[in-house]
Amino acid sequence: MGKFRYGIALLAAKMSVLALKVTKHNGTNFPGIVALRICPDFLKYIHKPETIIGVTGTNGKTTVSNLLNDLLSKLGRKVLNNGMGSNINTGIATCLISGVSLFGREKYDTAVLEIDERSARVLFPYVQPDLMLISNLSRDSIMRNGHPEYIKYILERYMLEKTKLVLNADDLIASSVSEKNPRVYYGIDQMPGDFTECRNLINDMQICPKCHTKLKYKYIRYSNIGKAYCPNCDFKSPEYDCVARNVDVKNMTMEYEGGGEKAEFALLNPSTFNIYNQVSAITMLQQMGYSLSEIKSAMEKTQITASRFGVHRIGDKAIRNILCKEKNAYAASRVFEYVGEQPGDKEILLFNNCIGDTHHWSENTCWMYDCDFEFLADDKIKQIIVYGDRGLDYKLRMLIAGVPEDRITFVKDAADGVSKLKMIPNDNIYVFYGTDSFNLGMKTTREAEAAVRAYNDAHGISSVNDENNEEEA
Amino acid sequence: MKIEVLYPEVANLYGELGNIKYLQLSVPDAEIIETALNERPRFLDEDSHIDLVYMGTMTESAQIVVRDVMKEFLPELKQAIERGQRMLITGNALEIFGTRVHDVETGDTEFLDILPFHTERDLMHRYNSLYIGKYEDISIVGYKSQFTHSYADGKFEPLFQTVRGCGLNPDVMEEGIHYKNFMATYIIGPIFVLNPKFMVRVLEEAGGKDIHPAYEKAAMEAYEERLAEYSEPDRGFIY
Repeated sequence: MGKFRYGIALLAAKMSVLALKVTKHNGTNFPGIVALRICPDFLKYIHKPETIIGVTGTNGKTTVSNLLNDLLSKLGRKVLNNGMGSNINTGIATCLISGVSLFGREKYDTAVLEIDERSARVLFPYVQPDLMLISNLSRDSIMRNGHPEYIKYILERYMLEKTKLVLNADDLIASSVSEKNPRVYYGIDQMPGDFTECRNLINDMQICPKCHTKLKYKYIRYSNIGKAYCPNCDFKSPEYDCVARNVDVKNMTMEYEGGGEKAEFALLNPSTFNIYNQVSAITMLQQMGYSLSEIKSAMEKTQITASRFGVHRIGDKAIRNILCKEKNAYAASRVFEYVGEQPGDKEILLFNNCIGDTHHWSENTCWMYDCDFEFLADDKIKQIIVYGDRGLDYKLRMLIAGVPEDRITFVKDAADGVSKLKMIPNDNIYVFYGTDSFNLGMKTTREAEAAVRAYNDAHGISSVNDENNEEEA
Repeated sequence: MKIEVLYPEVANLYGELGNIKYLQLSVPDAEIIETALNERPRFLDEDSHIDLVYMGTMTESAQIVVRDVMKEFLPELKQAIERGQRMLITGNALEIFGTRVHDVETGDTEFLDILPFHTERDLMHRYNSLYIGKYEDISIVGYKSQFTHSYADGKFEPLFQTVRGCGLNPDVMEEGIHYKNFMATYIIGPIFVLNPKFMVRVLEEAGGKDIHPAYEKAAMEAYEERLAEYSEPDRGFIY
C-alpha cells in the first residue's frame, strides 16, 4: 500500500511541477506538499542519491550549501541541491522529486541539502545524511527557535549515530552536538582584530559546562565565536582537526591545514563569517576524500554567494540596500556593526519591521534588546528613520543605546520616510529591510534614488556617475 | 537604591538584561550588583539592604545549574523571601521556585519547593502569545514564549490579573506569583521597557522616590501604542 501511494504521490507531484511551469507560478514547496499530503512517508520511499550531505546551523547554511553544490559539480559529481527551494521537509521533498525520473530512477549521485535546524524531526528518519555540517547555533526567532541550546537538543534527539559531523570548533554550542557521533572540527586560528572579551549583547557560552566557572577566551570574534577555556578546570574549545591560519585579509589569502595536508587558499570573501563558510566547505570536501589540490583547483573557479547588497551611486551620494533579517538579533548585530564601521556620513532607513506579524498579531520585540543597536550610536550616522507600528519601539531602543534623539526620525507611514532624508553632502543612504519587508525595501530604495536625483538637480549637484553596482559584506 | 541581578551569565535570554540597562538609565545613582553563579548573593544578608533582586529567563539546563547553586543557601533564601525581600523573577526562572518540572518525555525534575506550584513542560510545543494584564491599576503589556505552563498546588496571589492572554496556564487568568514582596511572571523580555509605569511602581514600592523612566516621552508613547494595539478586538494574540 505504501509503495502504491508513493507512486501516486510521485506522479501527482511531477504533474504539479508541470502545472506550475505552464501557469508560470513559483511554488518552491508545492510538489513536496502534494507528495507528502498524498503519501505522508513519501520521503521513506523516494530514491535518494548515494551520498547525502546535510548543511545546517543558524546562519551561513545557504552560503555553504551553495558553495558545496558548486564545488562538487566542478569536481565532477552530479549534485542535487535544494538551493532554489526551501529547507524544510516539503522543500527537501520537492528537491528529491526533481532528482528522480517519473519512474522513480535517481539521476544524481550526490545531494547537498540545506536543512532547517528544526526539520530534523521529520527528515532524519528518512533522509539520512552521511555527513552533516553544523556551521553555528545562535539566537534566532524567539517564537520559533527558543534559544540555541534548544536547537542543539532538537538536532541531538534526531541525529543518526552513523552521521559524521563537520563542526565549527569556534562555536561551543555547535561543536558539542551529539558528542558520540564521529566528528571533525574546523576553525580559524587567531586573527588580527580578534578580541579577548565579548563586546556583544549576545554571548550564549559564558560559563564552563563542567564546573560553571566563567569562561575566558583566548580570542573571540563576535558573540561566543572564538577559542574558549575554563580558568578553573581542564575544559576548553575542541582542538582543530582542520584550521585556517595566517588569514591575510589584505592579500586575500589563508593557509589551510588538515587531514595531513597543507595549502594556501585565496579567500573568497574577506568577512570573518565567510572565511568560516569557506573553511567549512574545504573541511567537508576533505572528508569526502578530495585532496587539497583538487579542492583548491575547484575553488579557484568558484565565487562565494556573499551577503551582497545593491549600491547605487548618484553624483556625490550612494544608496545601499542591505538585508537585515527581522527578529534576528544576531544577524542584525552583524549588519549594524558593519555599517557602523564604514567610512563617511550616513543616513539609515531602518525598515526591517516584521510586516507579517503586523498583519496577523504584533511583532515580539524582545530581539531588539539582544541586538547591538549600540553600534548605531556613531557620530557618522547622522539620521536613522523608523516607521510604523514598531517605529516607536525602535526609537526607544536606540535612545537606550545612546543614539541622540535628534538623529532619530519617526514616521507613521513608510512612504514618508524618504522625504525626511537630509541629503547631506557625500551622503551614504542605507535602506535596511528584512525578508518580510523585501518589497518595501526595494520600493524605498527606488524612492531614495529618485529623491537623490531630484535633490541634486534642484541644488545644481551633478548626478553623473549614475550607476548601479554591487558590493559585498 | 541597590539592585542585585542574579546570574546574568546564564539568566539573560530574550533581551531581559535590557530591563537592567533601562533601570540604570532611569535611576542613574542606583548601584547595580551582578552576582555570578560562584558568588554568594548579597541579599541573603539582611544588612546588605538590597532593594530589588532580579533574575531573568534562562535555558532548561541553566535552570538545573541555578537550582543547584540556590540549594546551597536554600534556608537563607526562604528566610529572605519570608522577611519580605523584594524580588522580580521573569520567564522560566519562576519555575525554579516551584516543586518540580514535569517534562512529558523525561518525567519529573525536582526544584526548590519554596512555593506551592509545579510546572508541565513539552519541548515539542512552544506557546507564544501577546499579553495584557493588570498590576493594581496599571495595565501591563508583554509577551509569552515558553515550553511550559505552571499549576498551583496551593494558594498564592497572582502578580497580574490577565485581561487578554493566559495566566500561569491556559486555564486560569491569574498570572504570575505575588507572595509578600516576591514577584514572578512568565512574561519575558524587556518588561520594564515595555511597561514604564510598572517599573516606576516596582521601584517606588522598593523605596525609590521621584522615579522617572528614562526617555519618558518616547517610552510612554511606545507603551500607549502597544496597549492600544493589543486592545484591538481583532488583533491576533496567540502565534
